[in-house]
Amino acid sequence: MRRVVITGMGWVTPMGHSLDTVWKRLLNGESGIARTTLFDASTFPTTFSAQVKEDYRVEEFVSDLSAHRAIGRNTRFALGACAQAWKAAGLDAGKLDLDRVGIYLGSGEGSLDFAAYTTSALAAWRPQTSTIDSVEWARRAFATMDISRELEQEPNMPLSHLALLTGARGPAFNCLTACAASTQAIGEATEILRRGDADVMIGGGAHSMIHPFGVTGFNRLTALSTFNEDPVRSSRPFDAQRGGFVLGEGAGMVILETLEHAQQRGAGILAEVVGYGSTADAFRITDQDPDGRGAIVAMQEALADAKLAPQDVHYINAHGTGTKENDGNETTAIKAVFGEHARRIPVSSIKSMMGHLIAAAGAVELICCVLAIRDNVLPPTTNYQNPDPECDLDYVPNKARAAKVDVALSNSFGFGGQNDTIIVKRF
Amino acid sequence: MLDPMRRVVITGIGVICPIGIGAAVFWDHLLAGKSGISAIEAFDPAGFPSRIAGQIPAYKIGDYVPKSYRKATKVMARDIELAVVAADDAFKNSGLKSKAYTDTPTINPVRFGCNIGAALISAELGELTTAMYPARDAGALDLKKWGSEGMNNLTPLWLLKYLPNMLACHVTIIHELKGPSNTITCADASSHLAIGEAFRTIQRGKADLAICGGAESRINPMGLIRQTLLKRVTEAANDAPATALRPFDVDAAGTVIGEGGGLFIIEEYEHARARGARIYAELVGFGASQDAYRVTEAAPDGHSYGTAIAKALQEAGVAPDEVGCMVPHGLGLPSHDKAELAGLKLAFGQCLETVPMATIKGQIANMGAAGAIDAAAAVLSVAHGTVPPAANVHKVRDGMKLNVSSTPRSANVQIAVSSVYSLGGQNAALVFKKV
Repeated sequence: MRRVVITGMGWVTPMGHSLDTVWKRLLNGESGIARTTLFDASTFPTTFSAQVKEDYRVEEFVSDLSAHRAIGRNTRFALGACAQAWKAAGLDAGKLDLDRVGIYLGSGEGSLDFAAYTTSALAAWRPQTSTIDSVEWARRAFATMDISRELEQEPNMPLSHLALLTGARGPAFNCLTACAASTQAIGEATEILRRGDADVMIGGGAHSMIHPFGVTGFNRLTALSTFNEDPVRSSRPFDAQRGGFVLGEGAGMVILETLEHAQQRGAGILAEVVGYGSTADAFRITDQDPDGRGAIVAMQEALADAKLAPQDVHYINAHGTGTKENDGNETTAIKAVFGEHARRIPVSSIKSMMGHLIAAAGAVELICCVLAIRDNVLPPTTNYQNPDPECDLDYVPNKARAAKVDVALSNSFGFGGQNDTIIVKRF
Repeated sequence: MLDPMRRVVITGIGVICPIGIGAAVFWDHLLAGKSGISAIEAFDPAGFPSRIAGQIPAYKIGDYVPKSYRKATKVMARDIELAVVAADDAFKNSGLKSKAYTDTPTINPVRFGCNIGAALISAELGELTTAMYPARDAGALDLKKWGSEGMNNLTPLWLLKYLPNMLACHVTIIHELKGPSNTITCADASSHLAIGEAFRTIQRGKADLAICGGAESRINPMGLIRQTLLKRVTEAANDAPATALRPFDVDAAGTVIGEGGGLFIIEEYEHARARGARIYAELVGFGASQDAYRVTEAAPDGHSYGTAIAKALQEAGVAPDEVGCMVPHGLGLPSHDKAELAGLKLAFGQCLETVPMATIKGQIANMGAAGAIDAAAAVLSVAHGTVPPAANVHKVRDGMKLNVSSTPRSANVQIAVSSVYSLGGQNAALVFKKV
């Protein structure tokens, strides 16, 4: 089985889009959360989110946008993150066998063409019969909807655009396993390289659900924080006062390579991917398994895959969404896997600062694990004020901490009971 | 540990599609030449230039889930229902008793994976609009009213009806499957990629069994308008639905929307043998690739499509002339058909004229993320020794010659291949072998 290493990383996040600037801000305990401005959310139960800021311009990273004219927000982020990772890895398309360069993303769908969608539906609504007049709907929709904007909502579009950007023609997949998607994508990309089906894989994800129906969906599920009076303090993973997650958006991309390929071209190696585990809860559509059984097995599988013992893990980047349910269950699962060692492993959630990037969250968090190894420092869990007896681990509260980190584990859990864990190690 | 000797076989097939509910009915009707394409009944299509679809006969979702699960069917989009029905069919003909059928299941949940391909699921317009209507202002949605009141008209679980991974979520809960789970969302290529990934999971020892394939319905106003705006659907055959979709034909004028669910139960060979399972075929090759051409068109040179098939054949250790049944994508969309033929030519060379080909979309329409139904036709051709017909292929475009027949042909099919490409450029191929 081939060894797999990370040779480049890039991201576009609510806290910026340069690798080191965002990392510095995370270590400073800053926040990317503020009032939502992408649409009028003033009367929504949640009025804030973690938006990618207006100073992000994809043109800064992709000089020729002719193949990417009608892209949605998710692809806009994916292109910037991928271009950074590709450049950081020192890859040159002219020197690669592009049939052996693949892509595995866990990207989310694009946003609806909101005005065209809502006005067509409202015009065609017949309140007397509570039905859509589909003939009228078609008339309105044909007059207002645009071919490109419809196509760009397909969840495989970020993947397709990255192929155009890089020329990659190897194995290509998009998995959309909710909040676990990009962790899963990087794990599965690793397996493709291990098997020898590619030399290089771009892995990661991109997503934006900061639009009216995205926020509606999560608000109806009562999954979002509603601390409207203080957005910066709204995301409180593991705190007794936590009240839900904060919706974020963005992209994270890593360049994965077989060790042999990376060494042959003299690439700088940032870390090795050593373990991956994936399971399903098969419990309920709305809730996680409160015993964390699926999460436990995902972590155990990843450890076994990495041939590591619990005490070998120096840092856990938690899924840590800030919901009552997740943080308690994740703590339970970590204790079940790591036993008495659990209290000695620092566990932190960067969602306290940049919110939850949904499908893109896992990739961004894995990048943090690699940076923690690079710099021997742990990003904090901010807004941690009130200990919860249910959550009794070391959450690196409020301040970054210097610590020896050779092995880091990243968890991602998705709606629908999807659990994924990746372990990275100093090379 | 990677054990290169772990073989993977198909031991269950589940199908729900326009020509039948159940893999056995599908196969019988496929061979009988039945067409599942007809005038759209799900909504009034008069405002659309293409008014036909491959529609599934009426069914009741409650008949396909345990009694205790009937309440949960209220939060299933149609795509989810189709996956749930296909899963029920696959389990029933696999001989495996999952938690859906017994209180003492014999399968080990953590060794049973799931990978179901899915699409961008369109929200039901009626459900959303009835909630929006009170929050309108001069024909537009007033977000202030929507935020304060309107959204409360939606069921709290609204979002969960439409997340693509909910197909896998419901299937894993109903049958209690806790192994590696995934959801591939690559349009028409989703199923094949999902099956290929599940295959790898068993090969590398992470599971002994998996349910894999995909499901989708495009028969709703949003689904149809997207395909119409993309100029993919034929507008010339509303009066002749049975002959509307003409794969690779000189008279092809576009594809036809459809809906379906196709799922396999795949199993490690020794595991299947030990329990005396019926083995339909062995999965012996998988190849995946990506076009780097345009997001709206298949690459005309067929390079990556051909590469995916060639990789799958190479893994299987099979030469092109050994293939006894080839099930291509065959959308009946002229520019895409042309590109697909270029890719097939790269993979098969001169054999492209002789390999028995079954283009089944003329009968069932484009299944989207349920492309596993194409793969099911390939597997069943091996199991039954019959090459299905190629409906509506009268004269192949560009003066090319293909080995097609309008009637089923008996043959000793040792090897069958199913290949697919997506809008967006993902390509995949699967190779099946007689055991």
